[in-house]
Amino acid sequence: MSSVEISALRKRYGEAVALDEVSLTAQQGELVTLLGPSGCGKTTALRCIAGFIAPDGGDILADGVSILATPSSKRDFGVVFQNYALFPHLSVAENVGYGLLFRKCSKDERERRVAEVLDQVQLGGLEHRLPRELSGGQQQRVALARALVIQPRLLLLDEPLANLDARLRDDVRWLIRDVQQASRTTAFYVTHDQAEAMAISDKIAVMKNGRVAQFASPREIYQRPVERYVASFTGEANFLGVQVERELCPGRFRVRAGSAAFDVKGAGPFTPGTKAVLLARPESLAIAGVVAGQLQGRVTKSVFLGAVQHCEVVLPDGASVRLGVPPDRSLPPDGTVTIKLDVERAWLMPEVAA
Amino acid sequence: MQRLPRLALGLPAVLLLLVFLVLPYAEMITMSFRASQPGAMYGLGFTADHYRKVMTEGLYLDALARSLLNAAFITTACLIVSYPIAWHMSRARGRKALLLYACVASPLMIGVLIRNFGWMIVVNVDGPFNRALLAMGVIDKPMRLLFTQGLVALALVHVFTPFMVLPINNALRNINPAVLEASESLGVSRFATFWKVIFPLSFPGMQPGLILVFVLATAAYVTPALLGGQMVSLMPTLVVQTLIGTFDWPLGAALAVMMATAAMVVVILFSLATHRLMERVRA
Ligand SMILES: Nc1ncnc2c1ncn2[C@@H]1O[C@H](COP(=O)(O)OP(=O)(O)OP(=O)(O)O)[C@@H](O)[C@H]1O
Ligand SMILES: [Mg+2]
Repeated sequence: MSSVEISALRKRYGEAVALDEVSLTAQQGELVTLLGPSGCGKTTALRCIAGFIAPDGGDILADGVSILATPSSKRDFGVVFQNYALFPHLSVAENVGYGLLFRKCSKDERERRVAEVLDQVQLGGLEHRLPRELSGGQQQRVALARALVIQPRLLLLDEPLANLDARLRDDVRWLIRDVQQASRTTAFYVTHDQAEAMAISDKIAVMKNGRVAQFASPREIYQRPVERYVASFTGEANFLGVQVERELCPGRFRVRAGSAAFDVKGAGPFTPGTKAVLLARPESLAIAGVVAGQLQGRVTKSVFLGAVQHCEVVLPDGASVRLGVPPDRSLPPDGTVTIKLDVERAWLMPEVAA
Repeated sequence: MQRLPRLALGLPAVLLLLVFLVLPYAEMITMSFRASQPGAMYGLGFTADHYRKVMTEGLYLDALARSLLNAAFITTACLIVSYPIAWHMSRARGRKALLLYACVASPLMIGVLIRNFGWMIVVNVDGPFNRALLAMGVIDKPMRLLFTQGLVALALVHVFTPFMVLPINNALRNINPAVLEASESLGVSRFATFWKVIFPLSFPGMQPGLILVFVLATAAYVTPALLGGQMVSLMPTLVVQTLIGTFDWPLGAALAVMMATAAMVVVILFSLATHRLMERVRA
């Protein structure tokens, strides 16, 4: 239950830079996700916050106070480990109550709090089992309960769903979100699954090679990414190479792609005449009748998936885009189609990251 | 056809046990029931007299009790010495780990006689140990260490340490380091983490170490005989004296059977007492 501010965190392992000027903030009660591919430094960042490793530079503030000098055991942060890290020789109840053993907490209160939190994570009745007698999802929930029972100031979760199957993943994800919101605990959550990040986060930090590429709300990240990397990591993305013609009004630009022209939104600034990248998510594209001033293309692939059919369309300049088409729509036999772009849902980005 | 290959696979082990364990013990137990006869290995007929004698005469019972207590003491000392070594070993990587392995195994690389003569030279009245202490001014006249029970204990702890260090090191290596971080993050001190997590989780290594050292210490003969002199009678010494001194093989066999049985009873009791803990911590 505190706000956390991370500023310019740096960490190297020999030559490898694991964290490079990472800055993030989490307001009280927020869930902030670190999202990125394997090896981008998510775990390293989380371990710095937890106090298991010391950063080479930068600072971490909790409620405005630097905690770098505080040992992990005094930080009062609950950590949920990727492989659970349950105490294999202790029962479920003993695992969960472990963090209370050495606190000012009577035996009665300890038992009450353990029962309460086990109830919260729906593990009632399994108190006396050993971890090896539990399923993966149950172990995961014990790990969560163990971190929650100390009422931590901050909850740190490192890929907590990585070892669960798809169904269980959904259940436990909602459970984590519910419990986190009910207890209004500030949390950092590490994942490399964009859908998971979208569903659970108040804010997402998309990481790339130890840096934060973008730190914003899920909506912002998805709809207004700062660079191609962020756009492609947060969902299916089509990129159209375009030429900027002029700025129509602040935040809106006229761009040209081949013979078509669009008035699209973008963060800018863009110098007229330069090249830029237009992000068109599949849902912003549709196949239309022949309309002048739109993109022409040829369908090269289509797969029928039941609710939709997915098409891949090659544009005259050789780029290909993917889009969804209503399943009952038949495609022209020669494959030549016109693609209609919903300009309100497209987003203009600089060619290279700023 | 299915069963035959399996039987064949088990055959060498069965043969080995039969030849080296079952047959010798059967022979020894048979011998312990034979009648004694002065001037011969054993006489005609069978008798339980030796056991009666062994279990009623103070000399033998004292020696047995002393041997078991002695072994318990050496085992405990060995554990205390070995645990920190095992801990450091489990943390070490690469060359350092290799070097530590070599150091820990070094007592076993020297034959028992040479090792004990080494001790004799080191602790001799004008040996290097006394000379060093004299030079440092810790003592003003040389200590007589040879033929003391302290030296015997020291020498036995020295040679049994590898049997304790190696399994404990193994168990410590098997502890997931994240578990220790979890304990730390839950606000538990390192000291408490040791007793609550590390110590119980290393028990699967401690149990074989304790049993092995206890059994070896109970049966140790050469080291006590060479370094301890003849003042204190321990069970193995008595057995050997009876066998080759008085040449009373049946009595010697009875003593040996009693010693082995007593050690086994201790081991079984210990295993039973730690059964619950072992069930919990087994991987
Ligand atoms: N103890 C270490 N020694 C050397 N390099 C390390 C160490 N820990 C991490 N690294 C390196 O630092 C970088 C970041 O690692 P980190 O574990 O933070 O990645 P991650 O984003 O958590 O990846 P994953 O999704 O695979 O868990 C990687 O290139 C990794 O090889
Ligand atoms: Mg990781």
